[in-house]
Formats: sequence, C-alpha cells, structure tokens
Amino acid sequence: MELPILNDQPTTKGGCSAGSCGSTDDQLSHLTDDIREKVQNHPCYSEDAHHYFARMDVAVAPACNIQCHYCNRKYDCANESRPGVVSELLTPEQAVKKTMAVAANIPQMTVLGIAGPGDPLANPERTFATFRALSEQAPDIKLCVSTNGLALPQSVEELSQHNIDHVTITINCVDPEIGAKIYPWVFWNNRRIKGKKGAKILIEQQQKGLEMLVAKGILVKVNSVMIPGINDKHLSEVSRIVKEKGAFLHNVMPLIAEAEHGTFYGVMGQRGPTAAELQELQDQCAGDMNMMRHCRQCRADAVGLLGEDRGDEFTMDKIEEMEIDYQAAMEKRKVIHDAIALEMDEKRVAKTQIAQERQTLPKLSTRPVLMAVATGGQGVMNVHFGHAKEFLIYEASPDGVRFISHRKTDLYCSGDSTCGEAETALQRNIRTLEGCEVVLCSKIGYEPWEQLEAAGIQPNGEHAMESIKEAVMAVYRELAESGKLEETDEQQRVNA
Amino acid sequence: MALKIIESCVNCYACEPLCPSNAIYEAKPHFLIDSKKCSECEGDHADPQCASICPIEGAILDAFGVPINPPGSLTGIPPEKMAEAMAELQAH
Ligand code: SF4
Ligand code: SF4
Ligand code: SF4
Repeated sequence: MELPILNDQPTTKGGCSAGSCGSTDDQLSHLTDDIREKVQNHPCYSEDAHHYFARMDVAVAPACNIQCHYCNRKYDCANESRPGVVSELLTPEQAVKKTMAVAANIPQMTVLGIAGPGDPLANPERTFATFRALSEQAPDIKLCVSTNGLALPQSVEELSQHNIDHVTITINCVDPEIGAKIYPWVFWNNRRIKGKKGAKILIEQQQKGLEMLVAKGILVKVNSVMIPGINDKHLSEVSRIVKEKGAFLHNVMPLIAEAEHGTFYGVMGQRGPTAAELQELQDQCAGDMNMMRHCRQCRADAVGLLGEDRGDEFTMDKIEEMEIDYQAAMEKRKVIHDAIALEMDEKRVAKTQIAQERQTLPKLSTRPVLMAVATGGQGVMNVHFGHAKEFLIYEASPDGVRFISHRKTDLYCSGDSTCGEAETALQRNIRTLEGCEVVLCSKIGYEPWEQLEAAGIQPNGEHAMESIKEAVMAVYRELAESGKLEETDEQQRVNA
Repeated sequence: MALKIIESCVNCYACEPLCPSNAIYEAKPHFLIDSKKCSECEGDHADPQCASICPIEGAILDAFGVPINPPGSLTGIPPEKMAEAMAELQAH
C-alpha cells in the first residue's frame, strides 16, 4: 500500500540521528551555546519548541524597493508566503493590538514576525512603529523581520534598539552578473536603477547589512531561492560567504514559478529545481530545511500552536472589542514560559541519557513500522483517543524514530449529543489511521479498542504523558523483541 | 502638469511616502494623485518618484496620458510573451 509520506528521504540516512527530523543536536552542533539556546526555543527552527511555543506574523508594510523575477506584486511577497494567499494588511496600531490580544490569550505565543507582502524595511515607518510599540508595551515578545536587504544598513541601529530575535535576509547571489538575471531593478537614492548596476548595489547593501547585524550580536538567517541555470551553481559560494560572515543558518528554498502567477520566471518558462537537485544543494549548504520538517506552511496570518489555527478568534473587529490587561497577561506568560523552559531542559537531559543508554542496546534488524500518536502538543502523549483532533504519524525503525506527517480526524466523541453517530465517525477515524500498526494515546475506551484491533491496529495507552519519541521507540522495541517484525512475519502478509 | 495613477495600481503603498509634494493619497479602489499638488517632482528630484518605484507597468501616466513605465519595461517580460502565456492559461 502507498502511504502518504510527506518527506521522501530514505530512512537509511539514519532517522533522527542523521538529522532528518527536527533540529537534532547534530545539526545545531556548529552553533554557539547562546545561539543554540535561541534556536531551540524558536517554534520555526526546533521541532521541540514547535510543540510548546507559537509565533505569528502580521503584514503592515506592503511596499517594496526592488523587483525580483520570482515575484508578482499582485500577490504576497513570493519569498515568504505562498503566492495567492494575501495576508490581511494592518495598520501598525492594529498590528500591535492584535499581537497583544493573541499573546494575552495564547500565552505560548513568543515571536512576532513582520511578514510580506513587501519589504518591511522599505517601509520603515510602519514596521518600526509596530516594533517600537511592542518593545514598550509587550517586552516579553520577541520580534523578527525578513528583508531583501537593500535598506538594511540604515535600519540596523533602530533594529538593535528593539527586542529583535533574528533577522532573515534573502540573498540569492554575490555576483552582479547573476544578480542582473534575478533582479531587473532596484530603487536607490531616488532613482530606479536597472540591470547589473542595480544588482551590484543590492548585493553590497545585503553584505554590509549582514556584517553590521552580526557585529551587533543580532542573529541572522539567510534565505536563498534556488533558480536552476541561474544561481544553482553559485549558492554554495553564497553559503560559504554568509556563514563566514556569521549568519547562523542558510536556508535554500526552491523557486516556485507557475506561469499563472505572472512572474518573469513563470512567464518565461524558468523551471524550479527538482527535489533531488534541491536536496543536493541543501546538503552542500547544510540548509535548515531539514530542521523545518515540522513546518506546516502555516498561512502567513495563522495564529496558534502546532496544528491549530485560531485566527478566527482574532479578527480585527473582535480585537477592537477586547479589553486587555497586558501587565497581568505578562505575569501569567512568565510563569508558563518558565515552566516550559524547565520542562524542555529536563527533557533534553533525559534525551541525552537515553541516547547514551541506547548505544549499548543491540542493533535491531527489523522492518520499519508506522505508528499514530494522539497528542495535543508539548511533544507528549497527552490526548484521549476519542478526543484526538489529529494524529501525528511516526515511523519507527532500527535507525530511530522520525516524524512523517499529520493526519486530521473528525472527533468521534465530543461528549455531547453528537454521540449518536459515534460508530460511523469512529470508523472514519480508524480509516485515517490506515497503514499504521499501532496507535498510542493517553487513554482509550473499550469500544474503539476492539474496533481498532479488528482493523489490525494495536491500541496502546501505556505511555500516557511520556515523550512521544521515547514511547514510540519503546513500543517498537517491544514489537521487535517479541518477534513480530520479522520480514516474513504473519502480520506482514496480512498487511500486504 | 501632473502625473496620474490608473486602475492597474495594486495599492502597494510604495509611492505615497516618496512624494515630495504630498500629492499621493490612499483611495478606493486605488491610490490617486492630486493633480493640483503634483509638481512632477520638479526641483526636488531628477525623476518622478512615484513612477520610479511603482512596480506595475502602465499604472502611472504622464501629463499626456502616456504610461511612464510601458509594458515590458519593469518586469523584462516582452509584451508578446505575456500575452501568449496568458492566452495559453485561458485556453486551459
Ligand atoms: S523582495 Fe519580496 S516583495 Fe520585493 S520583489 Fe522581492 S519577493 Fe517581491
Ligand atoms: S510625480 Fe512627484 S510630485 Fe507628482 S505625484 Fe509623483 S512623486 Fe508626487
Ligand atoms: S507604487 Fe504604483 S502600484 Fe504601488 S500604490 Fe503607487 S501607483 Fe499603486
């Protein structure tokens, strides 16, 4: 049976240990301790943190001062969001209000990003008005910003005054010849400057901005768009240079160039990279796409933790009516953040211990198994089977545990009058688990237990409140040791 | 003498803060230029600022009604190519 697997990396790469899932220690090992700490607590970089912390973006600055051949300004900045999904444009006042409303209601919200459409620094008044107000009124929220870099050097001083967590610069080249093929023009010193001359200015400003940020101790991440035949051979050079200058991550993204977006590349038939080409380049650049495996390409304006979009609760008209006591909210947030930090630390320690212990265990040679996990986040098994809104699917193999995908369910029992239809909904839920051999949850009722077993899925409620990955591995070991995972096993034939 | 913004404007806000004469204002369905205020940037800049940053070909006209950024001039997409691609999309 073909399973809907979101990533197609072979398991032989070594599962988590080779860094194919989340931010493993391995991938982060080149970072200094303080950077590592920041990254580990950031929902976009760390799979662990993603379960605990939430981030949100607001769009306040739609203007841009350059043109990229992969962008059509009728849509969002093609760089940062999916084309066609236009974010709600807010005034700085609205953005501040929305951010504080979300932070007060969702205490796990830690990072606010200013997102496209446009270049936030091409519109410094609107961007900095938002940052200024938030630094003052909500000092416990970290800020981040993405930019094409043209106006970066003149913004560094102001950026450093705020609670900036990191800055992302999109750098596609360091050679003006190549730049001219990506950027038809830039707006510089009150003129539109085309071609190589314009690209040269952009490149100089990007590099200068990068150096200035690093000198100020601000974290810099570099994004690059991989454009086959244009900059694909050049990006490893870009990677080397930006890392040398102190960028903490280099993230290579594929060009998306559909003709219907009406971009230069789209219309001229420029192709995007194949998955293999992208993978090869990412490996060369040690891009962090692997780290973002848990990324669900949230809508730019999605709000909330992993798997939940609470955007509907925070529409502008609802926010206008909210009374927010941010001082009180901040105290509450501190307690929760401290508890999370403690828990994450403890888990990190435990993880290292377990990893050490595991090295002494004999290596298995059994087949991989898919397991579904009912979780509400925090990386632990904490949801009753019947209350699961989604299952996280993991693959366990002798190489470790790796995250595969999310599958949504319909709640089969919400504890109210809808229970009458329990049976059909339960059947539906069981169908969403197709291909999985085990389902782990905190608790499970008698009826679903029986039906799951009948469907060939083994329910398991023995690991409630345990770490998902540890529990999945423990169950896998049990299966392996009881001889249920031999390639010629009965189960295998039944499943096939 | 004044420049004019027409309906292809995508309301990107880029021109408005640059205008030395405060002639550009946000309006529905698109930004507009107050012709009494627009000086075509005479005396302030060598090039009209709005037309120098506007990313949309054809959105800004000169005093004679001629697009300052004609088709193909900003994106580099030859107009025939654009027409061809759009026609093809429509056919699907
Ligand atoms: S920087 Fe962003 S908004 Fe500006 S042209 Fe490039 S992709 Fe578009
Ligand atoms: S030409 Fe100059 S003065 Fe006139 S609207 Fe444009 S920016 Fe303003
Ligand atoms: S720069 Fe052009 S597209 Fe943007 S608001 Fe001004 S006229 Fe409209």
